[in-house]
Amino acid sequence: MNPPDYAGLARALLPEAALVLGALLVLGLDLLFFRKHSRESRLRSAVAIGALAVVAAIGLNLRVGDAGSVFGGVLVLDPLAVAARVGVLLLTLLTFGVATGTAPLRHPAEYIAIILFATVGFTLMAAAQQLLLVFLALELASLSLYVLVGFDHARPESAEAALKYFLFGGMSAAFLLFGFSLLYGLTGSIDLPAIGAVLAKHDPQPLLLVALTMVLVAFGFKAAAAPFHLWAPDAYQGAPTPSAALLASGSKLAGLTLFVRLLWPGLGSVAGHINPKYISPGWLPVVVLLAVASLLVGNFAALAQTNIRRLLAYSAIAHAGVMLVGVMIAGSAGFAPLFYYAATYGISTVGAFGVIAVLEGRGGCQRITDLAGLHRRSPLLAGCLLVFVLSLAGIPPLAGFFGKFYIFADALSIGGATGEIGGATGPVGRVAVLAILLSAVAFYYYLAVLKQALVAPPAEGAAPVRVPLAAALTLVVAAVLLVLLGLFPTVLINGF
Amino acid sequence: MTLSVQSVWLIPALPLLAAAIGALTPRGGRKLAAGCAIAAMSVAFVLSCLALNGALVNPAQHAVFNFVWFDLGHRTVDLGLLLDPLTALMLVMVTFVGTLIFIFSLGYMKEDANFTRFFCFLSLFAAAMLGLLVANSLLLLFVCWELVGLASYLLIGFWFHKPSAAAAAKKAFITTRIGDLGFLLGMLWLYNSTQTLLFYDGGHGCLETGVLAGLTGSTVAGGLALSTAIGLLIFCGAVGKSGQFPLHVWLPDAMEGPTPVSALIHAATMVAAGVFLIARVYPLMAADQLLEHVPVHALTVVAFIGAITALLGAVIAVAQNDIKRILAFSTVSQLGYMMLALGVGAPAAAIFHLLTHAFFKALLFLGAGSVIHAAHHEQDIRRLGGLRLRMRVTFAAFTAGMLALAGFPFVFSGFWSKEGILHAAHEWDVSQLPLYMGLTAVVLTAFYMTRLMAEVFFGHGRSHEAEHAHENPAVMTVPLVLLAICAVVLGFLGTPAWPWLQSVLTGKAIEPHSIFEGGGLMLLSIILVGAGLGLGWAVYGRRLRQKAEAADPLQTAMPGVFAALADRLGFDEFYAATVFRLNAYAAALADFLDRRVWGGLVSFLGSLGEFAGLVNRSVDEDGLNGGFDSFSEGVRGTGQRYSRLQTGEVHGYLRTLAIGFVVLVLIVVLGGVR
Repeated sequence: MNPPDYAGLARALLPEAALVLGALLVLGLDLLFFRKHSRESRLRSAVAIGALAVVAAIGLNLRVGDAGSVFGGVLVLDPLAVAARVGVLLLTLLTFGVATGTAPLRHPAEYIAIILFATVGFTLMAAAQQLLLVFLALELASLSLYVLVGFDHARPESAEAALKYFLFGGMSAAFLLFGFSLLYGLTGSIDLPAIGAVLAKHDPQPLLLVALTMVLVAFGFKAAAAPFHLWAPDAYQGAPTPSAALLASGSKLAGLTLFVRLLWPGLGSVAGHINPKYISPGWLPVVVLLAVASLLVGNFAALAQTNIRRLLAYSAIAHAGVMLVGVMIAGSAGFAPLFYYAATYGISTVGAFGVIAVLEGRGGCQRITDLAGLHRRSPLLAGCLLVFVLSLAGIPPLAGFFGKFYIFADALSIGGATGEIGGATGPVGRVAVLAILLSAVAFYYYLAVLKQALVAPPAEGAAPVRVPLAAALTLVVAAVLLVLLGLFPTVLINGF
Repeated sequence: MTLSVQSVWLIPALPLLAAAIGALTPRGGRKLAAGCAIAAMSVAFVLSCLALNGALVNPAQHAVFNFVWFDLGHRTVDLGLLLDPLTALMLVMVTFVGTLIFIFSLGYMKEDANFTRFFCFLSLFAAAMLGLLVANSLLLLFVCWELVGLASYLLIGFWFHKPSAAAAAKKAFITTRIGDLGFLLGMLWLYNSTQTLLFYDGGHGCLETGVLAGLTGSTVAGGLALSTAIGLLIFCGAVGKSGQFPLHVWLPDAMEGPTPVSALIHAATMVAAGVFLIARVYPLMAADQLLEHVPVHALTVVAFIGAITALLGAVIAVAQNDIKRILAFSTVSQLGYMMLALGVGAPAAAIFHLLTHAFFKALLFLGAGSVIHAAHHEQDIRRLGGLRLRMRVTFAAFTAGMLALAGFPFVFSGFWSKEGILHAAHEWDVSQLPLYMGLTAVVLTAFYMTRLMAEVFFGHGRSHEAEHAHENPAVMTVPLVLLAICAVVLGFLGTPAWPWLQSVLTGKAIEPHSIFEGGGLMLLSIILVGAGLGLGWAVYGRRLRQKAEAADPLQTAMPGVFAALADRLGFDEFYAATVFRLNAYAAALADFLDRRVWGGLVSFLGSLGEFAGLVNRSVDEDGLNGGFDSFSEGVRGTGQRYSRLQTGEVHGYLRTLAIGFVVLVLIVVLGGVR
């Protein structure tokens, strides 16, 4: 066995080191110098340092680049990992922008530091290739997120949301760990390539199927896929807005990267068959069920929502359904469509939460009707919201459309890993058709939001909204990104 | 230094750029618009001189630069640029006269609110005219031809708030369009027969021997050679543009435009484009000369049309009272001379006269503009008078122009160019009739110009405006002086003793003759000029007009003839009675068909559609929409029902998690068992 390559490991972990250093700097400087300052200035300085750390991490990540397997395969820096790390870091940067738009919480520096720790978890999730590191990264991210969701001491809903999220998350973590231990017991390895190699030699045993299902429960939790989505609406509603934004964007992108790496390169040999005539056991049929359930639950339940955050939560569940389609075809079509979809979805949902955050700081924004007359109160916010919501709804030429287009086109055209899952008549193709039909339902609730923002007159006495500069910049950048990625989708698609 | 044919596009491109800048300049940007226009024109003049310098190296050569515009099936449509002495001389003339007229306009249009628009249109015209000159393709020439027509329309109607100007613009555009229809047909026919519209293309162009032989070889209806038919169709365009009989009626009306426009477009350049066109396609027009058993040669038609126009214009000009209309009819008459020269086989003489005429006619028009500007837009010669003393520079320059136009011997350029045409007509072996018509027109030209001079400049002012006229600023008089110098000097480029211009244009060295060769004819024409001048002075100069209302001496002598001439021989009335009335009947018929027959059919179909729409609506609203509404309500209800399941109770959530896991495991495992 080769001697452990500590230098390579340190090099690969440079971005994480930058983030941790940034978090410590944020905490230390705040403690030493800014205690006496107002919350606003403490938040601003913390965001400035945090943003620098994130930018440095992006730069380091790009410099380290596509380094391959690191430290005996604990980490893998393939193009997917590099791209996902950049994506996660960018989404964190946008989340910082959202944070500048809100009224600051009681401990702004700690808040930013924990976001940075969560980001460390995300970047590790994007590159982890060993079950132990997978679990550790996941837990680092989850624990940080539990804290972030419950950070608003002033609102009881925040604590309630954090508790629900924590209980749900803890239980799914237990399932995941149980599943991992079974996998280790069955294969004698915790390295994904080795597990894959062992599993490829044998037919799946019932115990393996139980282990796979346990892993998928955790996946369903992370991706907010039905029926493991129940935490999402409550958490989105109760959490401070930047936390909700991070939950919906960075966390989701990192989780998808982690699980798609776990499922295809690791457990691809036990994906199973889902041909209508012949179902062989494996994880693929489970994912099909999760996808269908998510699409139905997300789109239909969103129709009944009057709260804008719960609506975004159900929209996130519906989008999770589409992402699961992307996971199913990732084995044959590659990760590019899924990554493009998750990244652009992250940008638009962060943007939408950013608009909510700004409004929240200036009179509150809970119900959809609170958006009424936004075009009069702040044309900038209304314009950005238009871009974000239309991208979520998948209207060309915005990025959201091409995300859906690439996934559906691949689902309907290619044969899939087993040669028989795709196509218009294959199971994945049928899920795609269902998703396309449900897009029509989705238009209804997205347009209901836009109708309030762009058509309805403002409420009596509603004042114009002044948008803080940093938040305005963030929103405009996000909107421009969505337009540009929509106009030049190949930039991301051909990045792999 | 020379300008190669590849860069000759710069010459039209510069005024085009100036026009674009002018179009984008707001009304206040007078200096910018005018400055750009004049600068572009001056640079174009310098470039034209360089181009001429290059073209003179080998006058017989036609330097071309051809390129493919687009592919049409397996054929290509080519465009090209051409640089030969004909093009280069015209370029120099147009840019030089154009620059002077642009400068003159600075003063003339000073008070106009739409100053920038005026310069934009002028530059557009200049760009189109220069493009027309450098074209090596009948198609490119036609495109520019139509563009100069458009610019002419815009500029005649520049004061469109005057109904007469708007009507004149319309008349000019439509009348020339009639000729252009023939041009277009000829062009299409030519393309169909030869597969090319390039003039010179290394032996494959439509003006080169190989292609022309094919055109003369075949005949069309009536025994005409194909080249004759195509040539006559193209000649229709020239008839329209150059105001030849019978389409001359628009040119006098075009004087409604600002006077610089009349000088530039309707005297010096655009109207000469028809002459230029025939000179350019001269090999095509002359291709049938060798054929013997054809009913008519194309050039014979050209010669007679030219002779008729020359005489007609001169006759009508005698009885006009508007200073610009007199000059307009003299333009018609002089263009007739040029056509006559082309017809009798002397294109070099035609171009010589074109060039000299451009200078002295621009001079006369600018002089008239100077008078009009000074006299506060009084154009009636009966109400002017006595300006000789009040406007000395204008008077001197105008006199030079007038003598050049009348063909005063030896010193003035008009004499030499007109002599060239008369000599060519004399040597024409088909008929001597055009020569006699031309000689008659010589007398008349001298006569009516003397009348004009006497009425405008001699005697005393017969109106308030004329009495208070005073000389214009230098921006208007300097161009007059420069043009006056040219009106004299230019004649010496083409005297029989030194036929430089003729040898350059034909590309062959021409032996100098004695100045007095063919002296008989020259003596005759000098006598005729003298007779015209003397007669004019006898009638108008000796007893100067005292009152504006007094009758014209000719009117008292021959009232019937004078009235007919003043009425321009009734061409407009004749057209109104025939063409317009026919057109009106056709329009009424079309209107009836449109309203009653087609309109009725359409409204019947419309009501049918309306009925179908009603049926459709009831089906849609009650059947489909109702169904969709209830379906949508169902969809929404699903959401409502579902959200009732989301209780917010953590125990329930965790129970769902566990149940979900168990169900999934069962499905997977049992699914595998099957």
